Amino acid sequence: MPLILEIVTPEEKVYSETVDSVVLPGVEGEAGILPGHVPLLTMLKPGELTVSKDGQEVVLAVDKGFAQVLGDKVSVLAEGAIDIAEIDLTAVDEARERAEKALAEARALGMDPAEVEKLETIVRFSLVQKLAKNRRL
Amino acid sequence: MANTRDLRRRIKSVKNTAQITRAMQLVAASKMKKAQDFALEGRPYTELLAEMMSSLGDRLIDYKHPFLEGREVKKRGILVVSSDKGLCGALNANLFRKLVTIEGPAGYVSIGRKAAQFLSRSQRELLADFTISDKVQFAEVRVAVEFLIQSYREGKIDTLEVLYTHFINTMVQTPVILPLLPFAELKSILQKKDQEAGRKSASDDAREIQFEPGPEAILDELLNLYIKQQIYHVVLEAKASEHSSRMVAMKTATDNAKTLVDDLTLDYNKVRQAAITQEILEISAASFAN
Repeated sequence: MPLILEIVTPEEKVYSETVDSVVLPGVEGEAGILPGHVPLLTMLKPGELTVSKDGQEVVLAVDKGFAQVLGDKVSVLAEGAIDIAEIDLTAVDEARERAEKALAEARALGMDPAEVEKLETIVRFSLVQKLAKNRRL
Repeated sequence: MANTRDLRRRIKSVKNTAQITRAMQLVAASKMKKAQDFALEGRPYTELLAEMMSSLGDRLIDYKHPFLEGREVKKRGILVVSSDKGLCGALNANLFRKLVTIEGPAGYVSIGRKAAQFLSRSQRELLADFTISDKVQFAEVRVAVEFLIQSYREGKIDTLEVLYTHFINTMVQTPVILPLLPFAELKSILQKKDQEAGRKSASDDAREIQFEPGPEAILDELLNLYIKQQIYHVVLEAKASEHSSRMVAMKTATDNAKTLVDDLTLDYNKVRQAAITQEILEISAASFAN
């Protein structure tokens, strides 16, 4: 019985395929999910999500979020997710610099907390992407 | 028969109107594209969140949270999301027709000027009124969300429902009432949706669910995220519906103006030709008489 993995972010559905197993970056440590896993609902911390399919491994950098394992379906709900093969480090660095600058300004001006949160998300996710990418190189 | 000057004047005025509606159509079309993209991109995330919420809610029977427990409904709380401006076809009219069917005492919160106007005109209880710009920012929605949650916690309202126009495609938008709080109602809606789609609900898995960290921590996080995301998404959908509806309405208006101009031009030519024929007849009659 294969697993169905679905990764969804506010922007788009990043991943939706049947896979053999998944390793989730849970808040209480990494959790490996195989078919027939006990139903699980966990919070995710920013980190790496490893998918293995037909003997091949795909690594995705994911931001914080939630994951649900029910039946043969693994649903991941994250603020951001990207395949590390697609990460462009220079673009990530630029985005992070812009966000950090905007964040510094926002803090000085006392901007709306929701906007600050959004910028913080960008900064955090850029760092995650960088870490994940560097480790695999 | 009208004279040529009157006809000319009418043709000119219809043409002017067509120019305006055409400009509005183009503006709406470009906004529509963006709004639709936003609304459709956000859908899977919101749906998955709802699914998680419902499977969590099922298994937390012994955990008491004000958002999970239904209480006696003395007053329903309804958030109405309408457009700010008119000239968007039957969009708001349909929305308000749905609103009128709401039974029982209810307190209303509005997003969009048209809703606020309608509620005060029909003397319904308007608790608060928020405006949201065309480019929807999460921060703008948050203010409304916080107000609603606050009212719910304080017991000013006993349910939280959202009335908005659901975007199906450019031609079709339907007004929908979406219950958000308490969660008991949400479950039945999700089940119905699953049945309609012929899907086997994933929550059929009856085994005990495991939580990391504890259920309370997850629940708090999820609940907050859920309500904010839902309302944010509803606003996006409403905007997409508004722009689509306006685009279609303005396109119809432009097309109608074009046929009207064609008809009037035909009339005008007939009248002009009749006048010329008349004149020739008179001149030739006069020359015969001499």
